Amino acid sequence: MRTKLLTVLILAGLLLGACAPAAPVVTPETIVETVMVESTTVVEKTTVVEKIVEVTPTPGPNPEAVIQGVEPDAEIGLWTFWLSPTFDDYIKDTIARFEQTYPGVKVNWEDHQATFQDDLRNSFAAGNAPDVINLSISEGWVSDYASQGLLYPLDDAVPQEVKGVYFSNLWDQQVVDGAHYQFPWYQGIQVNLVNRQIYDQTGLTIEDFPKTVDGLPALCETIKETTGTLCDIRLTVNDLLAQMTYEGGVQVINEDGTAFTFDSPEAVAWLQMYVDMVKAGTVDRTVLVTDQDRVGLDLFTSGKAAFYNTGPNLVREVRANNPGLYGYLAVVPAPVGKSGVVGKGLMAMSVKKDTPFPNASMALAQFFTNPQSMLDFSKIVAIYPSTPASYDDPFFSAAPVAIEDSAKPYAKDSVSKLADIVPSIPNKADVNNIVLQAVQQALFNNVDPQTALTDAVAQANALLP
Amino acid sequence: MAKKSSITPYLFLAPAMIVIAVFFLYPIVAVFYYSFTDYNIVTPPQWIGLKNYQVLMRDAIFWQALSHSLVYLLVTPVLIFLSTILAIVVNRRLPGINAFRALFFIPVISGSIAVGIAWRLMLDTNGIINGLLISLGVLAEPFQWLAEPALTLPIAMLLTIWLGVGYYMMIFLAGLQNISEELYDAALIDGCNGWQKHWHVSIPGLRPQITFVAVISSLAALQVFNEIFTLTGGLGGILNSGVTLVFYLWRQAFRLNHAGMASAIAVVLLVITLIFSITNIRFLERGTQAD
Repeated sequence: MRTKLLTVLILAGLLLGACAPAAPVVTPETIVETVMVESTTVVEKTTVVEKIVEVTPTPGPNPEAVIQGVEPDAEIGLWTFWLSPTFDDYIKDTIARFEQTYPGVKVNWEDHQATFQDDLRNSFAAGNAPDVINLSISEGWVSDYASQGLLYPLDDAVPQEVKGVYFSNLWDQQVVDGAHYQFPWYQGIQVNLVNRQIYDQTGLTIEDFPKTVDGLPALCETIKETTGTLCDIRLTVNDLLAQMTYEGGVQVINEDGTAFTFDSPEAVAWLQMYVDMVKAGTVDRTVLVTDQDRVGLDLFTSGKAAFYNTGPNLVREVRANNPGLYGYLAVVPAPVGKSGVVGKGLMAMSVKKDTPFPNASMALAQFFTNPQSMLDFSKIVAIYPSTPASYDDPFFSAAPVAIEDSAKPYAKDSVSKLADIVPSIPNKADVNNIVLQAVQQALFNNVDPQTALTDAVAQANALLP
Repeated sequence: MAKKSSITPYLFLAPAMIVIAVFFLYPIVAVFYYSFTDYNIVTPPQWIGLKNYQVLMRDAIFWQALSHSLVYLLVTPVLIFLSTILAIVVNRRLPGINAFRALFFIPVISGSIAVGIAWRLMLDTNGIINGLLISLGVLAEPFQWLAEPALTLPIAMLLTIWLGVGYYMMIFLAGLQNISEELYDAALIDGCNGWQKHWHVSIPGLRPQITFVAVISSLAALQVFNEIFTLTGGLGGILNSGVTLVFYLWRQAFRLNHAGMASAIAVVLLVITLIFSITNIRFLERGTQAD
């Protein structure tokens, strides 16, 4: 009984203890005292840790993007003249670089060749001319189209610092009524390719090659006497007044543009030189008056001519079509005419007047003609930049290796002296046709050069407004 | 009985009429219009009335071109003569005769541009013709064939004849094969020799073909361009010695940018061609009726 009671009492006590709230534990008072302890770290030496940090730069303006306000999502057309397929890679690479420089702009490129002028005129008539056009300075196309109001004037649209990128003599070519319409593109230097297989038979050295145009008749006489070969000389029948100006030092129109003056003693002397060569039988008459440069070049390439006036860039035609002749080539500077000016520029880029994307079009034209693009082009073919900065590249100071590069050492100097000294001619195509008829009468029909030119002046004056 | 609709035939004709209207009638009307305008293709035409025709009548080169085109018509009788002779020669059952027929036809399918360029290279100062003549001792030094004004047109005419003789030979050959053999037998019985039977049987039997060839070859001669262009390098010959009406038209349109003047030349050429064709057909058909 007693044991049971004790067990119950113990169990009750345990049960009460488990259920009872915990009684507060009374502890003695704890005093918390904040004590500042100075911790000293011993630094033995200063350690400089170098760490390479790669910082991704914030994208800045592309230095080649010099035209502002380029229209976004512009799709523009570009026509080049006789560059495909040889330079397809260069053109496509430059376009790709341009599209990266001006994101959003798309370029559609076409190359036109023998029918370029016809295609371009038809496209203007149809209203779908390309926005950017490669035009020939040497053929006078820029002034032709600009005088018909078909090209975009650049004076107010192009910043001065961009204009300053080019040789000023090249920028100032083909000006119409005081306005500029072209970005100068690749330039050529007139040289004479010499076929040493024929030339050396004359007994002359390369250094004896005439430095002036009036030395050509004597050279042709010598070549015919010693080798029986005719000279491969060509009149630029599509622009006789220009040839008269550069070679003969002729003033073709008076200062105020009211009368033609290409029957002056200088003009007669120039024409008489060619008449004498035809009478002496020292020139190929078919080549003399052909309107296709390739006819004369093909004659030289076939190895049948002693020399031919062309650009170093066309040496590639000789190398491709007559590798045997390539090894016998020499290159000499082209003879200079009485004007003292070696020639005018070669190619340009222009923008059409009614383009819906003028800034994008100007950007493309300027991009193709900027120093980097020009330098890249010069490295693949013997043409020369229209931008002085391009010539700072070691490429131009390196010694020439191939015959095509013979002009490199003096290229910058030559290009800087190119000038368009022919005045603006009203109704130029008709006047040139009149001059061509007169020149042929003198060359082939025994008409006195003075009479022929005076008659031509009278006919041409009737065309003046 | 219900009346049949008369519109059905026109519906069948419509596609062809549309093509003719777009590609023939419209250009003809447009050329007539442009002939009265000053038009350089790139800027809109401006009405100037009869000025183009007045300038044309005073243009010495136009008259020179017209005279050259009329001289060029001499290829027609030469072509008829040579083609007829060739057709008579190849109209035989001989082994390999088909090869000869094909050879004579090759110039036709070679293309006038390619052949013209080949001829220009052959006649070049350093070409094969001069080389051959010098080696045979005929020439002492190279002769500039294409730089001689007196030779430009004859060379072009020779090229045209060479290009066309095979084509017209085939036409005459087909005609000869339609002539009954009985006629030749009758001629033999009447005592005709070889050439007499052809004169009295073949030629009269070929009159329809001769009429046809005369018309189309003279039209082609009036419109010649490719031969002149390829032989003269686009100049038209020294002193315009090879300039014909179509070449002058091309020069005005695409070298001097006078599309209005070129249109006037085209109208003049159209009138000349029409008169010539009608006269030709009536003259030859009158001969047929007389027979």
